[in-house]
Amino acid sequence: MGQLVKQIIDDLAKPFLEDLKELPLWIKWTVIVITCAATIPLALIFRARTSFSDKPRIHFIQNMDNQPKYVSQEANALFLDGRAMRPRVEGTIPRNGMVNDTHLYMGVVDDAWATEYPSALTVDHAFLVRGQGRFNIYCSPCHGVGGFGDGLVHHRANQLVETGVNGTTWVAPKNLHEDVIKEQQVGELFNTITNGVRTMSAYASQITTQDRWAIVAYIKALQLSQDADPASVANADAIPRKSANEGSSE
Amino acid sequence: MTQQRFIFPRWTNLVLPFMLVAGSTAPLYVAIVVAYGFSPQSTDVGYMPEQPIPFSHKLHAGELGVDCRYCHNTVESTQHAALPPTQTCMNCHSQIHPTSDKLKPLFESYETGMPIEWVRVHDLPQYAYFNHSAHVTRGVSCVECHGRVDTMEVVYQHETLSMGWCLNCHRNPDPHVRNPDLVTQLEWGIDMSDAEKIANSISWREINNLNPSQDCSTCHR
Repeated sequence: MGQLVKQIIDDLAKPFLEDLKELPLWIKWTVIVITCAATIPLALIFRARTSFSDKPRIHFIQNMDNQPKYVSQEANALFLDGRAMRPRVEGTIPRNGMVNDTHLYMGVVDDAWATEYPSALTVDHAFLVRGQGRFNIYCSPCHGVGGFGDGLVHHRANQLVETGVNGTTWVAPKNLHEDVIKEQQVGELFNTITNGVRTMSAYASQITTQDRWAIVAYIKALQLSQDADPASVANADAIPRKSANEGSSE
Repeated sequence: MTQQRFIFPRWTNLVLPFMLVAGSTAPLYVAIVVAYGFSPQSTDVGYMPEQPIPFSHKLHAGELGVDCRYCHNTVESTQHAALPPTQTCMNCHSQIHPTSDKLKPLFESYETGMPIEWVRVHDLPQYAYFNHSAHVTRGVSCVECHGRVDTMEVVYQHETLSMGWCLNCHRNPDPHVRNPDLVTQLEWGIDMSDAEKIANSISWREINNLNPSQDCSTCHR
């Protein structure tokens, strides 16, 4: 067996090495350089696939990736402010943008805060669930999920005030379970969300009119939930209560 | 004048084996470079442009738990998940960091009314139609296409956004849908096994009767 291997080496490898010895130097180097250069694209591909880049993406074949048209929020050098989407011209009203109902759009009935929900809305369970979702998105960062004025942004702001970073000031968000807020009519709550109050910004542009009313309904439900009389709850006896032991440990 | 014969030098014996080796490796090499180098995984994924303000999604969406929709509030009702207007930032930043240098472009924008020139990270070809609201309200989470943005200090492109990648999900949406109420909970499912996730996904697919279209005209309209 070993004899055979030796034979093959003698017959094939030795002449090959002899041939190689006579190969002109320039050919040798050309082959070496080309082989080394061929690893460069592979290395670049490896880098591209394993790292981040802030350089614009390379599209070898453009097809119609970018067309001579403007899409949402694109830049357009034609206008001084660079916006392709034009802001609404002052004094104009968009379709469906007619504000013709002080109750629905302002929470005001006969120059006083509305005490009832607008007739255009159906206040039911689905409406409250919608309000809960919207409250958790837009209100809970400051007011907290329970409405106690203890949202995460509030905590963060307090930290920044303590360390005195970049002139941060903070007015604590209202606890929605305070009597002052509880006594407010639905119209006044709606107005607060719509137009803001003190340091709280107006949310009319972020939340639709219907959703703002849904949030009002949810806030009312939240307030009720923290101050509920067991007698007002159907089947209250069936709901598990804390035992005396658990209560005392608090 | 004696005629001299040309005798091939000995090394020309190597030409044939060399041709065989080079001829078989070169096409393979080209195929590898094209397949990997031209793929959107190399050209597009990992694009992380520098933004005019070093806004951290990790802080706002992650640590502070602000819902995606607080800022991108059009995502459930329109095609485009809008970047928020300067006013949305000012809801908090009128009080928080009002003298920060990093936020200078924000305050300038607020005073002058000029837009902040954010750089678009996710950019589909313009012949492809994509509607955010159609996906989000049917339980396709933000995380399916954008990755864990709530852990990104600087946002980058996480998926290829290629046609084959879109079709993967349109052909087999089972591992990718959830309760539409939880679409912005990017960490949802982290404590579930793959089997649990798929079972959950299938149940929501049935509840919402999802049969994603694979027609050309669905996206190329």
